[in-house]
Amino acid sequence: MAAPEREPSLGWLRRMYGGRKVAAPRSLAYFAGRLLGAVVTVLAGALVVYVVMKAAPGDPALAVLGENARPDAVAAFRHKHHLDEPFAEQFWTWLSGMLRGDFGLSLTIAGGIPISQLIAARLPITAFIGLYAVLIAVAVSLTMGTIAAVRRGRAADTIATSIAVLGISMPDFWLSYMLVFAFALGWRIFPAYGFVSPTESALGALYSGFLPALAIAAPMAAVFSRMLRTSLLEAASRECVVVARSFGFSARFVFLHYVFRNALIPYVTIIGLQIRYLLGGVVVIERIFGIQGLGSLMVDAAFARDYPTVLACTIVFLTIVLLVNLVVDLLCMALDPRRSA
Amino acid sequence: MSPRRRQLLARLAGSFRGNLTATVGAAITLFVIVACSLGAALMPYGPDHADFLALLSPPSLSHPFGTDSFGRDVLTRVLYGARVSLVVSAAGIAIAAALGTSLGMISAYKGGGADVVLMRFADLLFAFPSFVLALFLMVVLGFGTINVSLAIALTYFPIFARLARNMTLLVREEPFVLAARLMAEPTPRILLREILPNIAAPLIVQATIGIAFGIVIEAGLSFIGVGVQPPTPSLGVIMADGREYFQRAPWVLTMTGVAISCALLGLNLFGDGLRDLMDPRLRQRAQQ
Repeated sequence: MAAPEREPSLGWLRRMYGGRKVAAPRSLAYFAGRLLGAVVTVLAGALVVYVVMKAAPGDPALAVLGENARPDAVAAFRHKHHLDEPFAEQFWTWLSGMLRGDFGLSLTIAGGIPISQLIAARLPITAFIGLYAVLIAVAVSLTMGTIAAVRRGRAADTIATSIAVLGISMPDFWLSYMLVFAFALGWRIFPAYGFVSPTESALGALYSGFLPALAIAAPMAAVFSRMLRTSLLEAASRECVVVARSFGFSARFVFLHYVFRNALIPYVTIIGLQIRYLLGGVVVIERIFGIQGLGSLMVDAAFARDYPTVLACTIVFLTIVLLVNLVVDLLCMALDPRRSA
Repeated sequence: MSPRRRQLLARLAGSFRGNLTATVGAAITLFVIVACSLGAALMPYGPDHADFLALLSPPSLSHPFGTDSFGRDVLTRVLYGARVSLVVSAAGIAIAAALGTSLGMISAYKGGGADVVLMRFADLLFAFPSFVLALFLMVVLGFGTINVSLAIALTYFPIFARLARNMTLLVREEPFVLAARLMAEPTPRILLREILPNIAAPLIVQATIGIAFGIVIEAGLSFIGVGVQPPTPSLGVIMADGREYFQRAPWVLTMTGVAISCALLGLNLFGDGLRDLMDPRLRQRAQQ
């Protein structure tokens, strides 16, 4: 089915000229396994953060109602939020609710409305900003990484590599202030604060979200382009490239179909890994630009000691990471059929 | 062992000369460390010395980084703050390294069910976005300097655990480890004397990069206000302060960020350079 490992190029050739095969049942099973793993990870993660949160010092009832709250008010509060039940029962109520999309009631934020409403309102905004940042990072890194690899050892390579190291070394929240300084206060091209939701106006969201997305994207673009440079050089030194050249394929064809395609696999993988850092950047930068997303919700909840909301945000962020990595798995399967065969 | 180690050091020093990245990185890192350990004492001002005649004055000869809203010298505060940030980050990474390395080594050496459980747990922690996990831990532990170190340690130890485990698996079957086992050396001694020195190189590289990571986490947490609490100056606290009057006095935030970027640049270059020096695959390619 798949070409032997020594000559992946020939398998690729055969597929190109022999028509595409549909996904084999085996790759379905592979994907199902990854999906199951992700579900188990979310459940285990929920258990861990729940246990840690419960072990935290301080009584949420007293934190919300104040130290001098009347005992009956405390008891009513504890009953309303299931705090008077045994631990296992509390966890089960919380977990089964969460699986139905019900995270319980917020303690202090927004006057105790359901957390799922808060999250539903803010998730699309965070998703938009995150996706926007990834697209910018991919666009920049594809250009920079390819230039650096093709012009290896020359001035362009040195410049691109230096920019990449600088990009990694600048904290993204500081960079966002520098961008505001240059493009919002100096040149007044972009707004310094505020964000138009993509549900209101797509163009407005693209415009007002550009600076925050750029700030989040910068360190990632740096990591991606370094990765792309390394893996392009690695792929270019493979034997299949020599074979393809000896077939008389043009340099352009060899680059696109042998070097670039093989280099894309580690590149796509690192995008999945970097999502963890991207979401961290989102949390701080949403706050700087006044974007009402999941990150600013989590920070607000952290300040208000709204434990269930912090808990819910943590789980949602974990789920986003795992979902993105599932997509990355699918992409890798498409790029490298050996992986699932 | 000793002459061999000396030879190793000499070789390391020799390849250092050939490796520009590591040299520049080491120089910048050394400069940052010297600046915050000695420079702070050499400054004519104290970190809390307020000059009410020079509020928010722009960078000048007497105040190279300008002053903040209390008329405090920003450069002095950055030097003191960098010291706090560096110590917080280094302490966190030290805990992470100690915890992660010992767990990873024991896990790989003993194998079995504990190994599986431990590595699954490390993978689980690794799946959380690091800053989100750190923020979550700050809520649980409470805001404050020591807890920032703890949060850094808990978010970073899975990386050490995974790395130490993989390296130990490679070294475990080496003849010198088998010899030590045949001589009935106790397990802790084998782990510490035979295995640890042979897996230390990648761990040191990881620690260098980890300190940069810790500085960013500290700065981020303190910047949003859940980390180091004022009046203790840390880089994040100074930046949070500078954010308040960014439009009137952009230098406070700007210069602090430049200082952080310098420190991170040094650590990143140093880590990259060290990795190139220690990765035999890359070294081989460099020699070709």
